[in-house]
Amino acid sequence: MKFDKILDNGSLWAVRYEGDDDNALRKVFAQWNDPEWLWDFFTENMADLESYFKITDLNQAIYDTIDDSGELECLILDISPDADLDLLFRPLENSRTAEMTLGKEKARLQNRPAHASWLRLYAIKLERGCYIITGGAIKLTHTMRERTHTLRELSKMEQVRNLLLENGVIDNDGFEDYLHEM
Amino acid sequence: MKEKALKYLEEHQSETPSKWREEAQWRKENRDWLRYSQRIAILMLFYMKREGLTQAAMAERIGCTQQYVSKLLKGTENLTIETIAKIERATNQKLMAFDA
Repeated sequence: MKFDKILDNGSLWAVRYEGDDDNALRKVFAQWNDPEWLWDFFTENMADLESYFKITDLNQAIYDTIDDSGELECLILDISPDADLDLLFRPLENSRTAEMTLGKEKARLQNRPAHASWLRLYAIKLERGCYIITGGAIKLTHTMRERTHTLRELSKMEQVRNLLLENGVIDNDGFEDYLHEM
Repeated sequence: MKEKALKYLEEHQSETPSKWREEAQWRKENRDWLRYSQRIAILMLFYMKREGLTQAAMAERIGCTQQYVSKLLKGTENLTIETIAKIERATNQKLMAFDA
């Protein structure tokens, strides 16, 4: 596993997994802009789209994904060096309010008209304002454990978190916090 | 923690640069016409699925190569008016409309 610096000041990184020719950020945005990939995805997940979002038009789902992807990508592209990334990323679990060592986080578009955005970027929070993007997904269900493609993203977050822990990236204070969470 | 983590990430950076920023910038700058290209790709996909056509069969109907159909379906081709007209004729549907 390797890492790509997304922002020059080192506050945002993306994982490049073994065997991949680029990082997770490039991979998800390429997929979210690929009509064929999106067609196959929504064909396979049409039942979720209907039951959770009440959308039956596959074409509309693809157009909305491409539009949202453009918005989200521009948000990241235009992040200024002094921007507060804590405003973009939020804890993965909506109920979590306390800081968690190497916490699992998500980014999504807020206040999208018509329906909530189903696009998610996932990341591990190193500390305030500092994140590593591990992947992304089209989340159509209430929880990530319900579908294989979102479950895979959970597993990737865990994999990156474990790698960082195994390599001692947390200091004594952080390690005590980690033990406390166990 | 941040210093240790950043040191670890710096030491484990990829050997080749990522193309994400370059591609994202390109998508942003070309957004308007890319939307047309992506819409045409989606309409072609819809037509091909409905008619049960392979890329090769679609290419034959349009009068181009299968490789070109594959590129069109990626939604990143800046199509000529001639190509759009050929796709319209092959699929018997209007891809673009103009108000008088």
